[in-house]
This record gives sequence, structure tokens and C-alpha cells, in this order.
Amino acid sequence: MTNQTLSDSPADLYQSLSDAVVGMDEDGVRALANAAVERGVDAYTAIDRGLVDGMSRAGVLFETEEYFIPELLICADAMYAGLDVLRPHIKRASTRARQRVVIGVVEGDTHDIGKNLVKIMLDASGFEVIDLGRDVPPQRFVDEAVAHGAEVIALSTLMTTTMDAMAEVVTLLRDAGLRDRFRVVVGGGPISQKFSERIGADGYSPSAPGAVKLVKQLAGEAA
Amino acid sequence: MTPIERFAAYGRGQPIDRLPCVPIVGNTAARVIGVKVSEFRGNGRLIADAQVAAYRRFGYDVIRVFTDLYTQAEAMGARVHYPEDETAYLEAPAIDSADRIGTLRPADPRKDGNLPHHLEAMERTVQAVGHEAVVTGALTGPFTTASFLIGTETLVRMALKNPAAVHQLCGIALEASLAYAEAILDAGCTPSVTDAMCSSTVISPKQFQEFGFPYLKKLIGYIDSRGRAVTLHICGKTRAIWEAMADTGAACLSIDNDANLAEAKTKVGDRVRLMGNVPPSEVMLQGTTAEVRQATRRVIAQAHDNPKGFVVASGCSLPVETPFANIDAMLDAVREVGWPIQKEALA
Repeated sequence: MTNQTLSDSPADLYQSLSDAVVGMDEDGVRALANAAVERGVDAYTAIDRGLVDGMSRAGVLFETEEYFIPELLICADAMYAGLDVLRPHIKRASTRARQRVVIGVVEGDTHDIGKNLVKIMLDASGFEVIDLGRDVPPQRFVDEAVAHGAEVIALSTLMTTTMDAMAEVVTLLRDAGLRDRFRVVVGGGPISQKFSERIGADGYSPSAPGAVKLVKQLAGEAA
Repeated sequence: MTPIERFAAYGRGQPIDRLPCVPIVGNTAARVIGVKVSEFRGNGRLIADAQVAAYRRFGYDVIRVFTDLYTQAEAMGARVHYPEDETAYLEAPAIDSADRIGTLRPADPRKDGNLPHHLEAMERTVQAVGHEAVVTGALTGPFTTASFLIGTETLVRMALKNPAAVHQLCGIALEASLAYAEAILDAGCTPSVTDAMCSSTVISPKQFQEFGFPYLKKLIGYIDSRGRAVTLHICGKTRAIWEAMADTGAACLSIDNDANLAEAKTKVGDRVRLMGNVPPSEVMLQGTTAEVRQATRRVIAQAHDNPKGFVVASGCSLPVETPFANIDAMLDAVREVGWPIQKEALA
């Protein structure tokens, strides 16, 4: 595969990278990414038009229910394998400041697949994601968002018992006079648009790809 | 009518006073007797007291002895965290990689983890109200227990990369489920099966066919052979797997609010009874009593004419803090609609 791609145009290489990500071919992605480095192809473009494009196609397949969580996770593994190879070769000039999202599962819950999917999709959409993990106390969302200068705070839960902790994050921001500095988005099984409005969050999405659209829209407003 | 009389008459097509109704009360039962949820841990007598009191307080038709989905996985080494007054959650799986599957042993329901306490709770509940109400014992499906044993992300990755290991793990989980099912039946209860991770919100219908279905079919087949009708609940989206769920031999499918009852009726209603699906969080926990009544009438309108029958229920277990008034409102709405069901009553 490597030899073949050496004779291909950069555009073909990007396409192959994208195809290998959608095709869940982690080894293939790694080989192609190394080929891109050997040929001196612009790493940023290879990431953007190859890896990110592949992950975004995987996201579409997820939305149309051709892919499910297992497929999406393996695509993400392939994307990250490629990123590991390509990121060190990004030329400084071609990196633009990425908007930051602080994400985590609120305290009292350890279900993190939904959060991980959103994180992957945000990563692939060019956001810098600060992942606080699971079982995160409300105050930590606030502290980390301030420390990292984030635009967006993304809160996830699968358990109704932890929904109050989401409201608590909004309250803490308000009490600290920080509410206007951040956009707060919420998601997870028991969450609804109505709940999001009631606690004063800025948005809700029922799915991971939808969450990325929402964050893009809100981060645009915040910028 | 008692719940048992109501179900019997309904099954024979004879007159009933109202449709059977099951707001799925789990740890909310702690609120009924004023104890903390964590007090249920290792205390079968208290679980039974709470479940019996909740049944008497609300007057629903099926008692489900249930605290969380992790009991079987916990009895095989998974670590469960028990907050003081909230539902327990999985802290860490029993193993972290496929090469450790061989170290797992099926749980002994009489000895391991909290299983003996849950069995005691089931026995006591049956003794107290088994003559009038249907008492079921929560049984987690093999694929879902497998996910708690090795971690969900690890399991679903293995589904694509190492299917043989998934089968090995599900085989062990099945063995444990069969032993627990037998003990539940011996306690005088009917196992009620939940296989949350088989949801099409998580794995594909094809993966369900490969990794969920065969084990569910064996498990439900066994319970069926002991003469008990099984209710199968799978959370989230399930439309693409309803046929397969019916093929497991389940008598009743409990449908989550992420799926549509009217569609389920069209697709599998001539094969299985349906149960569902008032939203547990948005309506039962957060809604007003008026919203609960409206949602209850809506699900009745969608499925009361299901050929194999319909049980008005919440789409999943109720959140702990569900207001009592909302549980009452669900039952009140079902009583008001009454039987036989007139279209005007559903407006």
C-alpha cells in the first residue's frame, strides 16, 4: 500500500487516508500517514482532508444507522493512529488557534461512551477538547473552563440522579459572574431540550453528531 | 380485581376493570418507606419491605425486585459504587482485557455478591403479596453483564476485532444468568430480563443477532421451559430488532420511549404483548401530573388494541426521585380510561 501511494498525487493520498479511517483500517491509516510524512506532504492538510474527512464520513454513517458505536470507536482508533504520526509534523504556520471545549460526565455517573463519542467528533471537527473524564464535580468544570480559556462547556450524563449536577454547573457560573463567558451544552439519555432550557443551558443535542453541530454554532457565537 | 385476576382475565379476553399498569418502580421504593437507597445493599428484608409497601401504596400490577443492573456482574468481580442515597453505578469492570476472560467464573447465586440478598428479597415479596400480585426478579441479560465484566468500550471493540472472545465472555455470562434464573424461579418469582446494551443505540442489529440474540434465546428458552412468561426489556432504539426480540421466546416486550409503540404493534403485536412507554425522565420525573395523564392516554391510544395485549408502563425504570403524585397520576389515568376502552376517553 505504501509503495502504491508513493506514486499517487497528494489528493489521492488524502482520499486513501479518509477511506482507511471509514474502513476501520488502523494499520492502513498508520502506513498511509507514514507515507505522507516520507513524501513531505503537508501534515495539516493530510489530517484535515484525510483523517478528519474520514471521521466525518463515519459520523454520517452513524447518523444514518449504517454504523453503530463499535464501528465509530474503531474508526476513531484509526484516526488517532494517524494523528499520532502526522501531528508532530504540522508546520507551525499552518496551525490556527483552535476553539476549546471542556467536556465531562457529571459527578455521580460513570457512563462515558456518549461523552467519548462527542469528544471524538469534536476532536475531528477541529476543536481542542479538554476531557475531564467521568464523575466530575460541578466546580471542576468551571475551574478547568476558566484555566483553559474554553468557549464551551459540554456536560453529559446517563443517570437522572446526576441531572441536578448539570444545573449546579450553570448556577456556579452565574454566581461567579462567568455565565456569559461560556456556552453550556448538555446531553445524555434522560436529558431533553426542555430540561436544558429549564436549567439555563445554551443547548441540547440527542446525538453525538448533533452535539458537534451545536457546539460549532455556539462557539461561533461566542467567538 | 387483584393484579393476578386482572392479568388472567385479560389473557383470556374476558372483561377487566382497567388495563394492567406498571410504573416500573425500583429504588423509588426506598422513598415509600423512608430509607436511604444504600440501605438496600445486603438487606433482602428491607428491599422486600420497600417493594411490598410501594405496591400497596400505588396499586400497580407487577412488582419487580430490582435495585440496579450490576448485581450479577458484581458477584463475578465487577466493582460497584454505592452512593449514600442514589442508584448504584459501575465503578470498574471485573477484567480489562480479553486474555483475562479465562479467570472469570459464573457466580453462585446462593453465595456470591448481593445475589443471595436479592433472592431473599424475592422470596419475602412473594410470601407477602405473591397470592395477589405478579412478582418478578430482575435478571440482566448475558451481553449486558458481559459489558459490565470487561467494560462496554472494550466489549464493543472486541465485537469487531475479536468476536470469539465476545462469545467466550457471553458464554460465561449466560451460565451465570441461567443459574441465577433458576434460583429466581425457585424463589417463586418470574425472572424479568433486561439487556440494555443490546440496544440499537449501542450495537447494530447485526451485532445483536450475533452476540445478543443467541444467549437471550437460551436464557428465555429455559425460563419458558419452567412455565413462566418472560418480559424482555431492551433500552433505547429497538425498532430494527423487534422481530428478533420476539424470536427469543419472550411473551412481552417492554419498549423504551425512544421507540414507537404503534409501530411495534404493527410489526410484532400479533406475536408478543407490548409494554411501555411513558418517558421516565422527561414526563414521570420532570413532568406535571397533567403531562403524565396526557402521556399515559397517548400510549394507551397507540397500543391498547395490540393483538397480544398491552401493559401501560414507563419506558424504563423510574428515576429514584419520581414524585409519588406522578405515579398516582399514571394509575389514575388508566383507571379513568377504564375498560372497554372508548376512543373519546383517550382524547
